[in-house]
Amino acid sequence: MTIYNLYIFDRIGTCLYYGEWNRKKQSGMPRDEEFKLMYGMLFSIKSFVTRISPTDVKDGFLNFKTSKFRLHLYETASGLKFVLNTDLSVGSVKDVLHEIYRTIYVEYVVKNPECDLTRTIDAELFKQKLEDYVRALPIFASRTDGII
Amino acid sequence: MADDVIFDLLHSEIVAFLHRTTEKDNQDQCINKLESLGFRIGQSIVERFTKESPRFKDDLDIMKFICKEFWSAVFKKQVDNLRTNHQGVYVLQDNKFRFLTQMSSGKQYMEVAPKYLAMSCGVIRGALANIGINSVITAEVSAMPSCKFQIQLQRT
Repeated sequence: MTIYNLYIFDRIGTCLYYGEWNRKKQSGMPRDEEFKLMYGMLFSIKSFVTRISPTDVKDGFLNFKTSKFRLHLYETASGLKFVLNTDLSVGSVKDVLHEIYRTIYVEYVVKNPECDLTRTIDAELFKQKLEDYVRALPIFASRTDGII
Repeated sequence: MADDVIFDLLHSEIVAFLHRTTEKDNQDQCINKLESLGFRIGQSIVERFTKESPRFKDDLDIMKFICKEFWSAVFKKQVDNLRTNHQGVYVLQDNKFRFLTQMSSGKQYMEVAPKYLAMSCGVIRGALANIGINSVITAEVSAMPSCKFQIQLQRT
């Protein structure tokens, strides 16, 4: 059970934060292009899912999985998108992402008067709290083969 | 009961608003304006809080009131450390100051911390003024979120 990485996007697509824990393969493109690709893909998938869905849409797009990893999306009412990549053995992380939003983002970014909500997050307190929280998660147990 | 977060957010915005709306060369006046804002607030708050308490015996009694009841009401906790030289100078130390806890825990943002302490200094000064004591208050931060307020009483 591992967590590979986390992206936080705001309503217009700016990547506010990127955290990486166990990523084994890089995408081969510069970070900002990767963020744009990720955001564009999410936007397209969300609208695709709501249009094509054969039944009434309750929550919309939640996650997708490949043979190697699962990508989870949690979107808040304010348009903030939390994207988490985990391995396949992880089920739903909606509550985890909700906790991250509620107790870490709102507490240490929204309430921080020095944080500009439209730019990347600089606050070290936020980064530290997020690290501690993610590392303490039961789904985080990282493999002990030397890869961080 | 109003949510406390409204006051935190309002305070952050007051500081930001004042800095946004003063011209570049008048930036240092912002701290004075914030302090006078706080002064007026402190005067009214202390009237309300001491409605039912008896008269204070002496300066130390007043400082204890500030450290306990006043601090709990305004900053949601009591002062952690009070020191004095018994000659009218008191140093109050708060290890988790209300307006600094969400900003950082350590060295980041330390240069901007004074902006967020100015109004609180004014509140304390206003409170003391309405109890009958003129004072000079300075605040310093050595490690967020803990800060020290130095109060110099000027009793005639």
